[in-house]
Amino acid sequence: MSAMRLPCGVYHERYQQDHAWWQTRFVWVRMVSLCLLLFIGLPALGNVYLLSVANVVGYTILSALGVQLLIGFTGQVTLGHAAFIAVGAYTSAIGMLQFNLPYPVSLMLAGLLAGVWSVLFGLPSARVKGFYLIMTTMAAQFVTVDFVIAQYISRIGERGHYFSLPPGTVSIGPWVIDNELSVYYLMLVLVILSLVFVGNLLRTRIGRAWLAIRDNDIAAEVLGVNIVRYKLLAHFVAGVLAGIAGAFWITSLYFVSPEHFQWSWSLWLVGVILIGGVGSLYGVIYGAMFMTLVPELLKALLFVLTQSPTMVALFPFIPQLLDKFLFVKEATFGLAIVLFLLYEPKGLAYRWWQIKNYIHLWPFSY
Amino acid sequence: MDIFLQLIITGLMVGGIYALVALGWTLIYKSSGVLNLAMGELTLLGAYVSYTFYQWGIPFLPAVFLTLVVGALVGLLTERLCIQPLIGEPTLTVIMVTVGLSFFFRAVIALIFGTDTLVFTPPVFPSEPIRLGEVVIGQVYVWSFVAALLVLLVFVLFFRYTRWGLAIQATADDEMAALSIGVSAKFVYAVAWAIAFMAAGVGGALLGNINGINISVGYLGLLVLPAVVLGGLNSVPGAIVGGLVIGILQNLAGGYLDNLTIAGLKVIPGGVKDIFPFVVMTVMLWFKPYGLWGWVKIERV
Repeated sequence: MSAMRLPCGVYHERYQQDHAWWQTRFVWVRMVSLCLLLFIGLPALGNVYLLSVANVVGYTILSALGVQLLIGFTGQVTLGHAAFIAVGAYTSAIGMLQFNLPYPVSLMLAGLLAGVWSVLFGLPSARVKGFYLIMTTMAAQFVTVDFVIAQYISRIGERGHYFSLPPGTVSIGPWVIDNELSVYYLMLVLVILSLVFVGNLLRTRIGRAWLAIRDNDIAAEVLGVNIVRYKLLAHFVAGVLAGIAGAFWITSLYFVSPEHFQWSWSLWLVGVILIGGVGSLYGVIYGAMFMTLVPELLKALLFVLTQSPTMVALFPFIPQLLDKFLFVKEATFGLAIVLFLLYEPKGLAYRWWQIKNYIHLWPFSY
Repeated sequence: MDIFLQLIITGLMVGGIYALVALGWTLIYKSSGVLNLAMGELTLLGAYVSYTFYQWGIPFLPAVFLTLVVGALVGLLTERLCIQPLIGEPTLTVIMVTVGLSFFFRAVIALIFGTDTLVFTPPVFPSEPIRLGEVVIGQVYVWSFVAALLVLLVFVLFFRYTRWGLAIQATADDEMAALSIGVSAKFVYAVAWAIAFMAAGVGGALLGNINGINISVGYLGLLVLPAVVLGGLNSVPGAIVGGLVIGILQNLAGGYLDNLTIAGLKVIPGGVKDIFPFVVMTVMLWFKPYGLWGWVKIERV
């Protein structure tokens, strides 16, 4: 799906050009302007609300990247990812508060611990697959968040299971992260690094092994791929990404609570993957943007509707919908998933690819 | 000793309800191959629908009967609109459709009814507990268990002695063979989903009496998954036994493992009851993934 289509008259003469991520000048210009837009353009608008929405999108991308790795690239369905994000968040928070670790160290520690925890719950993947693996990851979700964190981790430092960090705790060297703008820059760096990391990993031997396992794991084993090792490695990398996402989230919120990492968030992430497109890195971005922006637009729409008396007279439940917006968001999510899976099962990435094909081939139809 | 008996009997009572919901789940899986993760929200739906009927002044038994009807209708609609278009799609797609439905149901219920705990008023069951020797059981539990058993019995008789029931069993056993002798698969799917929704609805109505109706009743319906993993995905008696066992184990764990102190050190501070079924499920998955009576899947490359 990501094969490069070269324009007429452009030929690669060296292997280096063929291997490049950005293969033509057009792509260079496009990507550089995207970077300029993200790093300079968006903050220059000065709208803090936009930055906070972007932060949520970035957090979703980081969280969903691990899920995409497991589901889309290794074929291991996981419904417990929020547990590993929680592990990352709590490790980072407790690391900073209890052990006075600097933030970058606690970030890496969070990733490592979440990765190891993920391997622990990924061990059954050596024995079971399909539905049974789904059940295992679901059990991981509940046992980690509702039991291990609520009962044991909350005892460390007698903080209880939800606590906030004092302002100014999170800092990278002299740069203190305490407002939306600095969180935004941190998010951009983390997201770009993670995407580049996963993208490059997929081009290596490890990535090819994962794709082989996804397509037919028994055949992969027959060909010599050690599927247990690569499945556990996939769980580890996904856990590391989840840990980093969790550690990032606490900088945005300065608050940890098990409420943020419930089973519904795991399901939300799988929904993001499915809507964006399983098996595609761009799908993570598209899905995250869709699932974050659509509820925001809906909230804005409801707000506008409540301002006009005629609409309120026609539909008296609209102000109530705005109050209980959380449930409207969940209902939208459910409906979006069902509709996407019925009518667009390959997701937004596939639809975009089809549109690009159509544009490339126009006026021919094939 | 009497604590032990008390826990077992209470667990058995609640396990009857789990067994009922697990039966519905297994039915859907056996006949249409769909792994339905929305069972929790279906029990929620049953609880709230029966509550609404009860609040309108209809006595409890007819209210439960009406819940059955509503459940069957919703099941038929869901199956026709959401599941039939997805026949043949990969497993993850269908599971996520059920997940999407579960989100949708839960959110709509929360929007309509709010998040406060609702209680059946006037109380359906008398509050005087029954005493069997030294064991004290609230009447809620006893009557729920009896009701669940009755509904289970009706379903088992339905499957054994009516033509529709036999048709469902035939399709669950071997779909191609059943198609070849004239059993309509579409009909079987529709009836299976309707029955599952009905079972979940009654289960919800009964569960709602125990501690009041709240969004968290849906979580209890999620415990059906450990029950079916224990009993075997493909097995109806396995689902029933699994439900009962999970109920018993959950209560035993809550009674004995909570506040467990070894050598003065509080090893398990609490909160075991909620997650113990999932621990049981994980252990089953490590040692005997196909459950006690499940069919072992042999994969050919």
